[in-house]
Amino acid sequence: MKRRHKANMLPLLLLFSHAAHAVQQTTGIDAQAKLPYWQVSDNAMSLRLVQRLPVQSRAFFMARGFSQRQVERIAQSCIFQTVFKNISHLSNPSVLEYDLRDWRVISQDKRVKMKLREDWDYELRKSGVGTSQRLAFEWSMYPTQQKYKPGDYNWGMSDFNLKPGTHFDLQLKWHQSGKDHQTTIKNMQCAPDINPQSGDEI
Amino acid sequence: MIKPILYSICIMLTLAVQAAAPVQQTLPALAKPFAAPEFELKGEDGKSYRLSDYRGKLVILAFWATWCPPCRFEMPSLERAWQKLKHKNIIVLGVNVGEDADTIFEFTGNFPMSFPIPMDLKGEVVKKYPVVGLPTSYIISPNGKVTHRAVGSREWDKPDILSRLLHMSQTR
Repeated sequence: MKRRHKANMLPLLLLFSHAAHAVQQTTGIDAQAKLPYWQVSDNAMSLRLVQRLPVQSRAFFMARGFSQRQVERIAQSCIFQTVFKNISHLSNPSVLEYDLRDWRVISQDKRVKMKLREDWDYELRKSGVGTSQRLAFEWSMYPTQQKYKPGDYNWGMSDFNLKPGTHFDLQLKWHQSGKDHQTTIKNMQCAPDINPQSGDEI
Repeated sequence: MIKPILYSICIMLTLAVQAAAPVQQTLPALAKPFAAPEFELKGEDGKSYRLSDYRGKLVILAFWATWCPPCRFEMPSLERAWQKLKHKNIIVLGVNVGEDADTIFEFTGNFPMSFPIPMDLKGEVVKKYPVVGLPTSYIISPNGKVTHRAVGSREWDKPDILSRLLHMSQTR
């Protein structure tokens, strides 16, 4: 009887051990932004990506002194509000690390890299954008690399290097408790530009 | 057969609850404390603030900006903590990154902040620590070592954080 009980427990333990490391994906409408979100999480990490409308980017960067042309260049990107958290409990702490240079955006059978704060900085410098505007841009973009201890998180904008409205899959990687992890979020979509403005390239 | 399914549902629910849960109020210690980089910055009040002037006190060095949503969430709790800690050998320095005095003044009109707000107008000090995302706060011990780092906002006036800060301020 005891042996049979143990045999019954084995699949449950295996299931538990698998599920404890399973990545759960959810999608829906973000209650605060009222825009679509995609989220992945497990017992230690949580990544939430919320669409950001081009009109929101226009308003944000106009208020920070960017010219109409520069603002339009940013608005025609695929920007998501991004929140990456270490949610591991102190009783079982994990350290998370990621590098956005390892992530890939897959759209129409093409794999492209994200457009990072360093890429934008290079472009903005070349266009003669002033220091205070570049600082505002740099710090509003999601950090390219980061290491999170329990309770740590960042919040910022990520650019998936596509045109508004484009559908894509996102292949993401992170390092957690000494192990590499990766997953793919399927069928994400850049926010469409519902109110396009004319603007030249910066 | 039902049991594994029930277990599976329970675990998925647990994961969902964990993901939606508010961030824990932690103050992670650095594996390798380092000497706090010195700086001198002008404050939004026109005064000059030099880090080494606070040697002997515990310093909460918070890097922030007015446009950053978690910073806006954090600043009121930092002000409440400051009201409780300012006579306890602890100083709060809220280093604003890249904004001018007028922008900060507008913000503090809505969110009163009475601790010093040095302005890192060129974003040079923030890079020395190094910070890669806002807000990020460092704890600097009374002997000038950076000992703890909090990435993202915290509720600084929570009793467990206050008692840890008080304990650190008495440790030499």
